[in-house]
Amino acid sequence: MAPKELKPGIYSVGASDPDRELFDELIPLPDGTSYNAYLIEGSARVALIDTVYPPKQQELIHTLGQLGIKNIDYVIANHAEQDHSGALPEVLKAYPQATVVTNPRCKGMLMDVMPIPDNRFTTVGDRETLSLGDRTLEFIYAPWVHWPETMFTYLREDKILFACDFLGSHLATDDLFVKNESKVYQAAKRYYAEIMMPFRAAIRRNLEKIKDLDIEIVAASHGPAYDRPKFILEAYRDWVSDDVKNEVVIPYVSMYGSTYKMAQHLMDALIKKGITVKPFNLIQTDIGELAMALVDAATIVIASPTVLAGPHPAAIYATYLVNALRPKTRFASIIGSYGWGGKMTDQIKGILNNLKVEIIEPVGVKGYPQEEDLISLDRLAEQIWIKHREIRIVGA
Amino acid sequence: MKKYRCTVCEYVYDPAQGDPESGVEPGTAFESLPDDWLCPVCGADKSAFEPVEQN
Repeated sequence: MAPKELKPGIYSVGASDPDRELFDELIPLPDGTSYNAYLIEGSARVALIDTVYPPKQQELIHTLGQLGIKNIDYVIANHAEQDHSGALPEVLKAYPQATVVTNPRCKGMLMDVMPIPDNRFTTVGDRETLSLGDRTLEFIYAPWVHWPETMFTYLREDKILFACDFLGSHLATDDLFVKNESKVYQAAKRYYAEIMMPFRAAIRRNLEKIKDLDIEIVAASHGPAYDRPKFILEAYRDWVSDDVKNEVVIPYVSMYGSTYKMAQHLMDALIKKGITVKPFNLIQTDIGELAMALVDAATIVIASPTVLAGPHPAAIYATYLVNALRPKTRFASIIGSYGWGGKMTDQIKGILNNLKVEIIEPVGVKGYPQEEDLISLDRLAEQIWIKHREIRIVGA
Repeated sequence: MKKYRCTVCEYVYDPAQGDPESGVEPGTAFESLPDDWLCPVCGADKSAFEPVEQN
């Protein structure tokens, strides 16, 4: 990709990846992604902030060549994950004088996954600075957004925060800065939901840590840079707050329509009570959409039939993900139909052990739901409404 | 001093070892860890920890 100038002497030199469909062989990428690296020219030294995903490393080297960069003094590694660090060996080969600058924890993790000799590193402490001449880099430790070694780099004179994965979005775009905030909002929320959500406590701490920094631009390592950083910082503050919305997320799977009928009846009952319902057919759904819905919802109801004497594997997969993502959801329940027996609801409940949720009495139905089963579902809707009222997200 | 287990990832906080990578000295009781301390393996907060019953 051709280099793009953020400010005089500061360039975005990473790679766009519109064709990538899955991240970590897990997360769908409806808009592809980008791996952003940034080159900063100081009066005395040149620094590269992060690198790119290894399959794109020649693109990075080519872009640096287009800029006519003959020498790089420092390569800053904000994060050891290979989509940003993977091209380090290639960059170090192309720029033999370059030193990798990172924190001790990140250095160890980098050395665990790629062949970089110890003498190519220099480590920095929290809030330590590095002069490029007329420009100064400040390193800010930011553990757990989203790995233990993550770090930000702040370019003081230009007021740019290089936040790596934090505040990023999976978007393959040629826009250097955000053009369409609502589109980027969705992509950033999806990104948050998929990898940042389990670390709400750490995010809060890191937002607090940077709140007094004068930030003009946030340049993350995925997606366009923010020249109005308030937009993304406020979105993150909202997502990590303890506030939940009057919403019920209903992931469902049904084999012969009985469980679907139950889910449908529950949805109708909830909608009648003025509660927003977000259903996801687990056989078709993009799990990123499900994760996004969990960012704000007060309640989740998992709907699964019983097959092979337990929950449908698609429901187990979704429940496992929900549990791993640790959303701030406050209430949970389980519904489903079975043919003759089984412990579906207990098994689903057992997988939700990380969530600090109150379980509302599940509804299990033998066969196709009859009148009294529908009444049980109405009662569940009523319970959910009462719980939502107790936490004051519906009017009394 | 009691050991505590993370209910998310099963990591055990041992006060005798502390958590030097996060700047916690050996000999620090779980109760004395700062409120914003996080599990060094999975990033869960202190509320995810339970005391380990001693045999």
